[in-house]
Amino acid sequence: GLDPGSLFSLVLLTVALGAQALTPSHHLSLSDVARLQALLSQPFTDLASAYYSIVGLSKLGASVADENIPVSNETRDILLAAVSEDSTVTQIFRAVSALSSLGLPLASQEVVGALVARIAKEDNVLAITTALQTATRLSQQADFGGILEEIEDLAARLDDLGGVYLQFEEGLEATALFVTAAYTLSDHVDTEPPLKEDQVIQLVNSVFSKKSWQSLSEAFSVACAAAALSNNRFQVPVIVSAQGPATVSHNQPILQLLVTDVLSNPLASASVVVESAQAVVSKNVILTQAPFSLRDGIFELNFMTSQPASGYYQFSVAITGDTRLVASQVELKVKVSTEVAITNMDLSVVDKDQSIGTKTSRLGRKAHDSHQNFAMTFQLVDVNTGVELTPHQTFVRLHNHKTGQEVVFVAEPDSKNLYKFELDIAERKSEFDSMSGTYTLHLIVGDATLENPILWNVADIVLKFLDEEAPAAIQSKTLYMPKPDIQHLFREPEKKPPTVVSNAFTALVLSPFLLLLILWFKLGANISNFSLSPSAVLFHVGHACMLGLMYVYWTHLNMFQTLKYLAIIGSLTFLAGNRMLAQKAVKRIAAEQSSRLAKYRSLR
Amino acid sequence: MSNSVISVISRFLEEYTTKTSNKLKVVDAYLFYILLTGALQFLYCLLVGTFPFNSFLAGFISCVGAFILGVCLRIQINPDNKGDFLTISQERAFADFLLAHTVLHLVVINFIG
Repeated sequence: GLDPGSLFSLVLLTVALGAQALTPSHHLSLSDVARLQALLSQPFTDLASAYYSIVGLSKLGASVADENIPVSNETRDILLAAVSEDSTVTQIFRAVSALSSLGLPLASQEVVGALVARIAKEDNVLAITTALQTATRLSQQADFGGILEEIEDLAARLDDLGGVYLQFEEGLEATALFVTAAYTLSDHVDTEPPLKEDQVIQLVNSVFSKKSWQSLSEAFSVACAAAALSNNRFQVPVIVSAQGPATVSHNQPILQLLVTDVLSNPLASASVVVESAQAVVSKNVILTQAPFSLRDGIFELNFMTSQPASGYYQFSVAITGDTRLVASQVELKVKVSTEVAITNMDLSVVDKDQSIGTKTSRLGRKAHDSHQNFAMTFQLVDVNTGVELTPHQTFVRLHNHKTGQEVVFVAEPDSKNLYKFELDIAERKSEFDSMSGTYTLHLIVGDATLENPILWNVADIVLKFLDEEAPAAIQSKTLYMPKPDIQHLFREPEKKPPTVVSNAFTALVLSPFLLLLILWFKLGANISNFSLSPSAVLFHVGHACMLGLMYVYWTHLNMFQTLKYLAIIGSLTFLAGNRMLAQKAVKRIAAEQSSRLAKYRSLR
Repeated sequence: MSNSVISVISRFLEEYTTKTSNKLKVVDAYLFYILLTGALQFLYCLLVGTFPFNSFLAGFISCVGAFILGVCLRIQINPDNKGDFLTISQERAFADFLLAHTVLHLVVINFIG
């Protein structure tokens, strides 16, 4: 075997390589095991349930009544004939199981051959698992080569869910049966199963994550898997959990750990050592290589002897003593809690103008008005070590009995860990709604690592505000009522000038047209040359239509429609206009030529 | 000084009324009308305000565009400029005028809102 030195270095290597190693998140607690047994102990109604109950309970270590069955020759022949390539794997399994349970001889090599042939034909998970189970019933001298490699092939078919679970898509039962078969066969042929540590832990998580089982066969498969994982020759997953909450304090200085297998059986032969205990916040290493002592099946360590400050600690725990252990490196978070005491409490009323503090006794009522500040200082120390503490919650609460109003302030520590709370009444009057009256002052101290959170009525103070408003309804009541409706303000239309002005200017702008007509008349512009040829008429009509289309565009249409109509009317107008202008041009050129001719003739 | 300005203006007016043909005077009257309309629109904008701005722009640009096209037409049909526009007959100039106006009106109506 390995000597302690190389074992230690192996553990160190594992720590160095896989600091965040996978640890099982599920196993069967004692109550789970009891429930499993209860389910399997139900009276059986048929052969299948009898088989499941008897074998399942025996795997869990419960006792079962014996049965004796006589066998005839014909039965034996039937069973032997079933072992062939032509029967299904299940049939072969049942035949082999019956033969071996009844103590009858069978040819192991033949069985192996038949199984290998069947696996090639029935390539599903359940069939191969059944084949593996069958092989466990055969003689150890047989050649299991073809069957053993099926374990690895089957393991490759497992689905990895989030790196935490490893299971077949066929479900829990198939996974559990596979685990059972793999370990049983590996033990039978004395060969380590080809499963890596991480795979084993993931299989543990898958098989034991379900705590209520729907059918007897499911319960049976889980029981078989649990038995195989807790008691085989090669890989035993170890479960480490704290007994109760992982908290230590002066009253309870001992950290208790439960180190068990998947069936919650304690591993008494193991030795548990704290590799290192490191404070989470300050990263100080408090403890290294401290062993746990075993007492009544529980591993104990007195952590308070190392005098840790209160807070959270990361424990790195290693379990040794058995080469079969899987997931033997565990990380735990341990809380060290303590008790707090308030010391050096000082209450004073400070006049704003003079800043002279007048010390008063802790009890009694004090009246303050807006010219004074109320101040409170105190220190929070650890009762056991005298070290100053800064808990997460240090609040000062002022509560008005009459109105039920409460105002909470936070007291903050300064650099010397001295807590100070100052109340400027004038400044804070909005929080008090300027309600004068008697307020009870409570100091609230709390933290996850404190065992004694404090709610202390320090004093009653009478506050007087200068301008008191009428007692309004308590703030909190109106906070949750529907808020006033917000009406949407539409964009205000711009201010338009008065209609008179607009109309006047419209008339003014249109007036030059009149002027134009007058001017044209004066110039003698006329339409006497208007030829009534069809193209001219069409042109003018078309042109008028186009102008009309512009108006319609302004009032009704969009650009696309307008362009469509414009294209139609425009092309007509264009053709007509082209014709008309050509005619005009001809006329003009003829007139020019004739006038030129007349001039030429007159010159001669 | 003012004397010479007045004399220049009166000389110009005299030459204008006698030398320019009727056709051109008709076009000039049209141009004057467009100018007045545009100026009045601008005056309104100055006095009353720019609301609605898009309408003002549409109207003003329509006047400006029409004026420019009118000037083009006048240049092209002026017989004194015949040498510059050998390929463009008077009818062709008028047709171009009409086409350009169609496009201008389309844009103006689109913008007038």
